[in-house]
Amino acid sequence: MITAVSPFGKTGLSPAVAELDRPAAPVSPAASATSFSEALSGAATQAVATLDRAEALSLQALQGGGVETREVVDAVMSAEQSLQAAIAIRDKIVTAYLEISRMTI
Amino acid sequence: MEPVSLFDLAAQQARWLSVRQSAVAGNIANVNTPDYKAVDAKPFEHVLESSRLAIAPTHPDHIPIGTAPGAVDVREDADAVVSESGNSVSLEQEMVKAGELRRAFEMNTAIVKAFHRMMLMTTRT
Amino acid sequence: MAFDPLSATVKIAASGLNVQSERLRIVSENLANAQSTGTEPGADPYQRKTISFASTLDRTLGASFAEVDSIQKDSSDFPLEYMPGHEAANADGFVKMPNVNPIIEMADMTEANRSYEANLQVIKQARELISMTIDLMRQS
Repeated sequence: MITAVSPFGKTGLSPAVAELDRPAAPVSPAASATSFSEALSGAATQAVATLDRAEALSLQALQGGGVETREVVDAVMSAEQSLQAAIAIRDKIVTAYLEISRMTI
Repeated sequence: MEPVSLFDLAAQQARWLSVRQSAVAGNIANVNTPDYKAVDAKPFEHVLESSRLAIAPTHPDHIPIGTAPGAVDVREDADAVVSESGNSVSLEQEMVKAGELRRAFEMNTAIVKAFHRMMLMTTRT
Repeated sequence: MAFDPLSATVKIAASGLNVQSERLRIVSENLANAQSTGTEPGADPYQRKTISFASTLDRTLGASFAEVDSIQKDSSDFPLEYMPGHEAANADGFVKMPNVNPIIEMADMTEANRSYEANLQVIKQARELISMTIDLMRQS
C-alpha cells in the first residue's frame, strides 16, 4: 500500500510553488511590502496544503481505495483554485517589482 | 512505502484497467461457448506489489501479460458458477465489472488531466 | 509490450458479435423452414440445424476470442403428421415434419440477441475508453 506522499514533490509541482516565495525578498519598499509578501506566502502555503491533499486523495483513488468520488473532485478543484490564485499574486508582484526597478531614483 | 509519482501510478492503473477490460470482453464473447471458464485479472494491489519486488514468479497456470515486472496476470476465476454446458460466465457479473472499469477509467483520466493542467499552469508566466 | 489491450478488446468483442450473428442466422433458417416438408412420398423434411462455438486463447492477453466450431444437423426424430393426400404422405398417410420446435428457436433467438447486445456494449465502451485516453492530449 502506498501511504506516504512526498509534498507533491513527485508531480514536480513543489519546486514551482516554492519559486513563488522568492520574488517577495527583493520587493521591500515601504510598509505595503509586508502585506504583499504575507499575501504571497499565505497563498503559497495554502496552495501547498491543497495540492498535498489533492495528491493524497488522487493516489488513493487510483489504487482503488474506496475514496468518495466527490471528495477527490473537490480536492483537485480546490488545489487548482489556490494554485491559480498563488500564481496570479506572484505575477502581480513580479510586474510590480519590474516597474519599481525601472523607476529612476 | 516509498512515494510514487502520481502520473506513473495513473499509467499503471490505466494499463491494468485495459487488460481487465479485455478479459471481460473475452468472457462476454464466449458466454455461450461450452466448457469456457471465465477469466479475470489479478487485483491491482498485486500488480503494484510485484512491480516493487521486480521479480515475478511464474506458475504454469498463470498467463502473465508482458514480461515486465508489474505484469498483469489474467487467470480463471475459481469462484465462478459452472453451468451444465461447462460454461462459467455470468453476463450480469461481466456487465457490472464493465461498469466499474468505466468509472475507474474516467476517474483516472480526469485526475491525470487535472494534474497535467496544474503542471502547465506553473510553467507558464 | 507491443500490444494495445483496448484495441484487442474491440476485436474480441467483434468475434463475439460474429458468432452470435451466425447463431441468429441458423435460428432464422430453422424458423423459416419449420413447416418445410419433402416433396416425394415418405421423403425427409427440412432437418434442424444446430451451431456450436469454441474459444481461442490469445496468449498475450489472457483473454479469448470466440468462433464458430461447427454447424450440425439435429438428428432427433421427425414428428409425423397425419395428412393423407399431401405430396409427401407415406403409404399410411403420414407426413414427416421438420424437427423444429418454434418455441425453442424463439428462446434461442432471445438469448442470442441478448448476447449480441452485450458484445455491442463492450465495443462501445472500449471505443469510449480509447477516446478518453486520446482526449488527455486535447487543450483544456
